[in-house]
Amino acid sequence: MVKCYLLDGEFSEQNQDNFADISQVVNTNRRALHALPLPVIIEILSALGKKIIQNPHLTKIQGITYLSLWLRKRNLEQICRINYGNLSYPDSFVDVENRFKMTAQPRGVVALWVAANIPTLAIISIVQTILSKNGSIVKVPEENKDILLQFLQELASVEVTYDNSHYSGLDIVKAISVVSFEGRNHTISSDFSLNADCRLVYGGSKAIQSILALPQKDHCETIVYGPKYSFGVFDREFIESDLFEKSLDKMAKDIAYFNQMACSSPQVLFFEKSSFQLQTIGEQLARCFENLPGDLRIQPTDAGILANIINIRAKYLLSDDKSVIASDDLSWTILIDNDFRLEDPVHGKCIFLKEVESLDTVPELITRKIQALSVSIFNPQKRESFAREATYLGVDRIVIPGTIHDYDLPWDGILPLSRLVRWVILKYQ
Amino acid sequence: MTDSEKILDSDINELLIQPPYLLEDQTKNQTLTDILKIQLKNAVQNNTHIKNLVSKQGTDIDAITKIEEIPFIPVQMFKYFDLSTCEKEAIVKMLRSSGTTSDTASRVPLNKKTVLNQMKSLKQILSDYLGNKRKVFLVIDHEGVNSSVSEFTARTAGVRGLSIYAKKTYYLLKEENGKLVLNEPVIQDVIERYSGKDVYAFGFTYIIWSVFYQQIIEKDIHFNFSDITLFHSGGWKKLKDEQVSKEYFSESMSSVFNTDKRNILDFYGMAEQTGIIFVDCECGNKHVPNISQVIIRNPYTLQPCSVGETGMIEILSVLSDSYYSQAVLTEDLGYVVGIDDCPCGRKGTYFRFASRIEKAEIRGCGDTFKE
Repeated sequence: MVKCYLLDGEFSEQNQDNFADISQVVNTNRRALHALPLPVIIEILSALGKKIIQNPHLTKIQGITYLSLWLRKRNLEQICRINYGNLSYPDSFVDVENRFKMTAQPRGVVALWVAANIPTLAIISIVQTILSKNGSIVKVPEENKDILLQFLQELASVEVTYDNSHYSGLDIVKAISVVSFEGRNHTISSDFSLNADCRLVYGGSKAIQSILALPQKDHCETIVYGPKYSFGVFDREFIESDLFEKSLDKMAKDIAYFNQMACSSPQVLFFEKSSFQLQTIGEQLARCFENLPGDLRIQPTDAGILANIINIRAKYLLSDDKSVIASDDLSWTILIDNDFRLEDPVHGKCIFLKEVESLDTVPELITRKIQALSVSIFNPQKRESFAREATYLGVDRIVIPGTIHDYDLPWDGILPLSRLVRWVILKYQ
Repeated sequence: MTDSEKILDSDINELLIQPPYLLEDQTKNQTLTDILKIQLKNAVQNNTHIKNLVSKQGTDIDAITKIEEIPFIPVQMFKYFDLSTCEKEAIVKMLRSSGTTSDTASRVPLNKKTVLNQMKSLKQILSDYLGNKRKVFLVIDHEGVNSSVSEFTARTAGVRGLSIYAKKTYYLLKEENGKLVLNEPVIQDVIERYSGKDVYAFGFTYIIWSVFYQQIIEKDIHFNFSDITLFHSGGWKKLKDEQVSKEYFSESMSSVFNTDKRNILDFYGMAEQTGIIFVDCECGNKHVPNISQVIIRNPYTLQPCSVGETGMIEILSVLSDSYYSQAVLTEDLGYVVGIDDCPCGRKGTYFRFASRIEKAEIRGCGDTFKE
């Protein structure tokens, strides 16, 4: 059974046996979206960005303020330029090197499997399918369903005038359907997959593997945002510089956002040996955690994660060569030792601090699963050289404290808009 | 033995010879806190891990005034640390217990004094439900579960613990090609010899339900044990998944044995706290014996919960002389129903088990660094 919450611009819950009707409606309606010039779509999304921060149901969601800024016209244009190279490609044929003309055509209907860990993930994904003029069917986690529907309701009500013509967000919304179904149901999952011209998948390893094993159309493109891990490094010069204190404060926020559940959430921080003891740095970070705004300091946390936090704290308390700095409640935990390794994520603001003789050894730990590496190396050349090696080994993003969750494209090494379209040519006569 | 050790032993013994649910909560807390503080000091002296815990937390043992201030260790730590608090030579048995959800076994070192205290305690608790006479013991499991070579599990702990009241033991199941089936000759023998007589039984709840009950119904076997006391424990998650409630289970089992459903008693316990079981009273509440206390802690603040509020179950006990069992935080959720006023008349805190804490399932992309 498929529960459908949005179809053909109608926000009402209905049950469907399969995806045939849903897919047909979305496929038909995507033509109106295709007819909208990209600058108009950007105007509409930018107007939406201003609206969502006035919606009290949405403003309480973590990440909405950032999302509103992310939807700024300038940012969306920049995203399109980085992905497409030229803003005209989605709307027309453009001359390429005097050889032929080229355009970007949408792939068709995109099926989205969205993970539950980030409330705004479905929204960010859908903006990309809109900017590539695709129709979308979103399988949304139950807990994030209302946020997405509220967002799309706001989008449906956006009206803009561009070049003296009037446009409505409803034309975009009509090309989107929001559904939920039991992911373990192989028949329904297969049907969902088979109705897609493109599949956009977020999730942990198990989820990704099972979705990739589903049948698909021969021409179907699949974009995977799989399980990833992030961490941070600080070199001696940086630690001893004036920049350090502020960076630690920003790092505390990076750890706290999304309760450390995102693939971009740092799990371990390596500090090069400096004039500061690791314990002292830990105490400094503790003060940053204590000073976090209320909604970042105390966040709803799954009982299983709380049990893991209790266990890891106890392990460090009982051990000879480890130490713990933690809040009285379970809102944050700093675990200090010198075991040279990455640690399995605990989540819930549980950060491992480790001292290393030199950051030069850290690349040994890098795998293809490292997404973001927050690099605080004082000397720019040294930093760039470190980044070159780290990204060769597998890191997708090199960032600075306070920016680890910035949704810059490329993400996970992918330029998604470029993959969400078919690049087609028109030979000169 | 030093004078203070003698006093400690005598205090614990006194608790063990009284009826198990005699002490009112406040009196018990005071009595136990005094004993626990002495035991904690001993643990700090004899175990570097406990010493680390106490010093890193900045606990001043002498300043402890409330029972909830005794430092707890999470039950999982028995898998990772040697928590013995006595000399190695004094350990007569290493209890290795693998839980239902993990491959790593807990290690619980026992010396003579601890084993003796545990036996006394179990006897004290069971006497409240079975009286003082030894009885025929029916084990709803196969004999191998109690074998010295096989791994010590919650099932083993239950069988061994409850067998202290047995004058003769019968195993009603057997293993056949790796599957549990009814041991029909033994069942027939038991029916012929003991129908109508006073017996007691024990089984793992899920095994009783999924193997014993289903096959008894299928084979249309009838018992006539109106005075039976059936103790059962564990496996509630699977039964919940099958939508079998505790009430339905009790009703079904009472009809199998032809007895009152009040004779079907669920209990809660764990290998790391052998010697203590929390048995349902006729009102369906679990009672805490004199030598133990239960604190329900809020999983986020770790502060004791108020009555009715669900939290993590912590079990405190003064039974162990050989390992740190003084305060163990479980991964089970429960809630206190009341204090000193259960209609059954038993004093102290009474509580109910709610569920195990579900293993955290990370449903997203923030997963692991391992390729």
